[in-house]
Amino acid sequence: MAAMQRVASSLGTSASTYGSCKGAGVKVSDQFPAGLRVLVVDDDITCLRLLEKMLRRCLYHVTTCSQATAALKLLRERKGCFDVVLSDVHMPDMDGFKLLELLGLEMDLPVIMMSADGRTSAVMRGIIHGACDYLIKPIREEELKNIWQHVIRKKWHDSKEQEHSGSFEDNDWHKQGNDDAEIASSVHEGAEGVLKDQKKRSIAKEEDDAELENDDPSASKKPRVVWSVELHQQFVSAVNHLGIDKAVPKRILELMNVPGLTRENVASHLQKFRLYLKRLSGVAQQGGISNTLCGPLDSNVKLNPLGRYDIQVLAASSQIPPQTLAALHAELFGHPAGSMVTTVDQPALLQASMQRPKCIPVEPGMAFGQRLVKCQTNMSKRFPQNVVSAEEVAPGFVAWPSNSIGTVGPGSNLGGMSSQNSNMLMDLLQQQSQQQQSQQLSSLPEPSRVINVQPSCLVVPSQTSATFQAGNSPASVNQNYSRSPMIDYSLLSPQSNNSSLNIGQVSNGDLKTTGVSGYSGLGSISSLSSCSVNPDNSSQQVQSSTMTIRAARQLPGLGPDISNFQGSYGAKSSEVLDQGPLRNLGFVGKCTSIPGRLAVDEFESMMSNLEHEKFYMEMNGNKVKQEPNVEFTDNTRAGIPILSQLPPTSSDLMSVFTE
Amino acid sequence: MLGWGVDRLRADMSRLLAILFHQGVLDEQFLQLQQLQDESSPNFVSEVVNIYFHESEKLLRNLRGLLLDREFSDYKKMGIHLNQFMGSSSSIGANRVRNVCVAFRAASEQNNRAGCLRALELLEHEYCYLKNKLHELFQMEQQRVLAAGARYPLQQQQQH
Repeated sequence: MAAMQRVASSLGTSASTYGSCKGAGVKVSDQFPAGLRVLVVDDDITCLRLLEKMLRRCLYHVTTCSQATAALKLLRERKGCFDVVLSDVHMPDMDGFKLLELLGLEMDLPVIMMSADGRTSAVMRGIIHGACDYLIKPIREEELKNIWQHVIRKKWHDSKEQEHSGSFEDNDWHKQGNDDAEIASSVHEGAEGVLKDQKKRSIAKEEDDAELENDDPSASKKPRVVWSVELHQQFVSAVNHLGIDKAVPKRILELMNVPGLTRENVASHLQKFRLYLKRLSGVAQQGGISNTLCGPLDSNVKLNPLGRYDIQVLAASSQIPPQTLAALHAELFGHPAGSMVTTVDQPALLQASMQRPKCIPVEPGMAFGQRLVKCQTNMSKRFPQNVVSAEEVAPGFVAWPSNSIGTVGPGSNLGGMSSQNSNMLMDLLQQQSQQQQSQQLSSLPEPSRVINVQPSCLVVPSQTSATFQAGNSPASVNQNYSRSPMIDYSLLSPQSNNSSLNIGQVSNGDLKTTGVSGYSGLGSISSLSSCSVNPDNSSQQVQSSTMTIRAARQLPGLGPDISNFQGSYGAKSSEVLDQGPLRNLGFVGKCTSIPGRLAVDEFESMMSNLEHEKFYMEMNGNKVKQEPNVEFTDNTRAGIPILSQLPPTSSDLMSVFTE
Repeated sequence: MLGWGVDRLRADMSRLLAILFHQGVLDEQFLQLQQLQDESSPNFVSEVVNIYFHESEKLLRNLRGLLLDREFSDYKKMGIHLNQFMGSSSSIGANRVRNVCVAFRAASEQNNRAGCLRALELLEHEYCYLKNKLHELFQMEQQRVLAAGARYPLQQQQQH
């Protein structure tokens, strides 16, 4: 919080600096985000006028510019006089992205892009170029109210990295959640280099700051090297050529042969790349990575095609060995439970995978799952005990993926969601890994819980519920909330709205209970909340699907960091589930009509912060309340289209695919 | 007498707006636009809409000029115009105009000149209809203001 206050006060200071720029005394520090200094650049006068009015209503200081060149001039003249820039993408005198890059290089301003073109490809371009956010016209006032978060986030990360020099964990973690979802959502684009480049950029932004701050705090900020797609491709091919172990910055630099690139640039980029690989290796991309690790053996498999590779692989695979996921994700979500595989083990993991895969002929057509299994079996042998516990649970877990992924994989079940398929698959995998993770976490203190969760997904048709991680995704959920205005939870829920559903304690013993508890977690997805307990069969199936989704989110031990990621997954999987085989009306029915099986107190204990209190109320109360169902039914119907529109974006990340 | 006129005008305006919403000519973004009008900018809606008309007519002329040119091949430029048209139309809630722009953009991306010409005609038609209806609306508003009291129109006219 101290950091926050510092940021706010720095903004306030800068606001008064701005005031001095203008010659007028401006005092806004107490009223943040009021007084935020915004520069709007758009050649469309209509939109310019509208935005100006809306921003003024948000109590921001607005300066408008209809030409990019004029805006650039203004920014250069008055450096430090603006907090955030809103820019249109298509402008006659300068491309919006060019302006974005220039601003990113010259001054550390958050830039938000706007466009009437809301197509995924366009939004993707925005991400690649490093936009903080991408707003799609028509822009509403509510969206503009939130732009201050980008300012805070940027400053916070900068100041945080000043404090904890070298430890990026927290930031990385938050970014991780965002990035994973970004990956998931962008995977279907099949833009391999884009995927990594985008992740690189996000990592680069954080760690560049840290490095710059740590290495040379007194010197002025050097212009950042923009790791464009092409540059990154060169980098990766150089690394592939050398082999990830042998890749030293000097050699990479020589291979890349890019004028103006320094060894330091390459070194920092390599460091980020390595971290990135570690993360990826936990996200069911093991096969690709292990291939890369045995680079000399099979130079055909490059890291770059991972984007597309994932999709095919995921689609082909029906099983993700939990051991690998568990182990690898231990590093990702590395809570020092002691038995978790920490980052230290990561090299060991890579080592393990390196040794074995040499014997494995790498074929592009080879099923990813197979490769994973092989790699995993090796690695599991070296793993500490906690992984073993995961293995115990594995049988149940393994069964699940085949079912759910089998359902999801073909994509035919997902009416018209082909483009999102891979996202969901990615999400699924990540969810699984996260679930494994959480299982590991919970397995140590309370083994019974883990096991309980497992069988529930086997027994109950709505299996996916168990697979969902107990991540609170307040951010993503909130996003969902804002997106689905018609769903009105406030009607039923007397509890606070911002409680994140956290099944910290998966109830012991009873299968049903576990399943139900999974349901209780449903509250986190606002859009899914439309699935209320409803005796009506047709709506129940939707409900069960959504409920399972939510349930999945609620697993102990995982902090809110996962939530973003899972939120997106939840949104997507809910769609899948809706169309999939989750027609176990009985499941919902059981929950509601057989209260004996449900330990109401267990629900209570599980639901610490329920976003979706309604569900809680219903479950916790005696039976299904009929009245609310009416509203829910409507929402249910509405919920599905909303879901289809929901992209996996939590604030940053969510906004990417926002409609 | 005056009161009756105001009420009637107000009813007529509501009816017109309802029809326009029902036809899909306007969407909820127009309501947002109306909400932006307040004491500090009492003519905001008509201001913005007039800017929109002005800009749109420029865009339409450009589009027509591009398409009618025999050697036309710059679909990209057309796409840029369309993008702007789409952005401003959607921002004021001109729903049907925006939809035609979307179709127009699709045709231009396929380099389908005939399709573009058709889309342009449709676009001009929709735009004219919208302009007429909005003019009607503004006229009614002016009359309503006049009927509501002699002071108000003077004040408002002075402001802008």
